[in-house]
Order: sequence, then structure tokens, then C-alpha cells
Amino acid sequence: MIEVGTELPPLTITFKRDDLVRYAGASGDFNPIHWNDRMAAALGLPGVIAHGMLTMASAVRVVTDWIEDPADLVEYGVRFTKPVVVPDDDKGASVTFSAKVDKVADGLAEIDITAVAGEEKVLGRARAVVRVR
Amino acid sequence: MTIDATMVGRSYTAAGSYQVGREKIREFADAIGDGNPAYRGDDAIAPPTFGFVIGSRALEELLNDEELGLRLDRIVHGAQKFSYTRPIKAGDEIAATATITTVRKAGAVEVIMYETALTTVDGEPIATSTSTLSHNRADA
Repeated sequence: MIEVGTELPPLTITFKRDDLVRYAGASGDFNPIHWNDRMAAALGLPGVIAHGMLTMASAVRVVTDWIEDPADLVEYGVRFTKPVVVPDDDKGASVTFSAKVDKVADGLAEIDITAVAGEEKVLGRARAVVRVR
Repeated sequence: MTIDATMVGRSYTAAGSYQVGREKIREFADAIGDGNPAYRGDDAIAPPTFGFVIGSRALEELLNDEELGLRLDRIVHGAQKFSYTRPIKAGDEIAATATITTVRKAGAVEVIMYETALTTVDGEPIATSTSTLSHNRADA
């Protein structure tokens, strides 16, 4: 039973440089700001940053891990508000994803997702809509 | 050349269709660290954001339109949304068409929204991807 206010189990994911290289290969997004410090600095970034689409893919896991079948997702959107800087070390950058059911109506549940790295929200207006069985 | 509101409505179709393979789905799921069994095996469906990979082939065509004068290294992905009619599945053969829906200018920054329709090659809808890009033309 999905109810308004239900909090989904949170998930913390650590991104390291090799994760970004792996995502670049699998997605075909080889933009050098995701693996090359020199290019990231040249564009005024604080360092190599994670692909926004990798953060987006990770965030929705809070929802798809929780619902029985990920095919029940009908809508999913985010704003990329802050880049996730991934240092060239063994620790990487950790992002904690949490989610809460905001609305249940007409066989659909709307779930708000929060993504925090350090003290900062890296996604804005992240929301998934799932079919309720 | 530069982009302006008269370019709303321009459409770009990815060259050829994209055949979705179960091993590509598994590779993508591995790359996002997602062990969900739904993304494995002969009946695999693709993770929710996989549509962006297919849609990016239509985006490439949009970026190649010299009249828009966009440069990939000046683009920041501002927002992304997907609406799913059904999940992408192994075995699907998918056509992608990107259409510019909004162009807004704020100084040197151009905000471009485009919608990518993912359909089967027979035209059945699968998903729609809506993307917002910021393009900075400063010093261009």
C-alpha cells in the first residue's frame, strides 16, 4: 500500500573516476569534462564532474528498487542544479538519494526525490510518477 | 549563425534505427551500478534513463545543424524528463526524432528545449524525452 508521506529507503552511491569512464563508454557520452581535469579546468569547472545523466540514473534507483517492477514508472524528471565533482582519488564523491511519496491519486503515485552531495542538493524538482497496483 | 525562436519546430531524425540488445542493456545497467534483475536476460527492459542514449543520436543531428551554430563544449544539460508509454525492451528497433520546442535568450546564454520522440520503426510510441540545454555564446 503506497501512502502519502511514505519515505522510501535511502541510497548512498559513491562515484569514482572509473565509474565515470565506465558510464562514458556505456552511454557514448565522451565529453572530456567527465574524465579530463585539464579540459574541466579550461571550462571553469571546479574539477571533473559526473555526467548529469549518471546522477539521474542513480537517483531513480531509490524508486525502482522500491516498486516491484521498474516498468511501472510512467514519468521521471530532474533539474541539474549543482555539478557533482569527482576527485581523482580512492574516495570519490558520495551522493545520498532519498525519496518521499507526495501524492497518490488516480492509480498513480508522485514521488519526490532528493539528491545531496556534501551539504548541497545536486538535483532540483526530481520527481517520479509510478503506477500503483 | 545563431539560434532564435524562428527555429522552434525544426526536427531532426537519427540516421537509421537503434536496435536494442540485451547485452547493451546489461552493460548500461552495470555502468549505473544497478543490479535490478529486470535489466537482465532475454526479456530485459532498459533502465529508465537509457532512452537518452538512443535520443542522443537525434541530438547529434540537431547539433550538426550549422544554422543553429551550437557547440557541444558550450552546452550544459539543465533539465531532463522522460514520459514512458512503455519501457524500452531488448529486441526493440527504435526511431528517434528531436524537435526544438522552445528557444529563450538571456544575454549570451541561450536556453533551448527539445523533445525527442522514441517510437518503434512502425511509429508506435515508446517514450518522450524532454531536455533543456543552456548554450553559452560568450566569446564565441
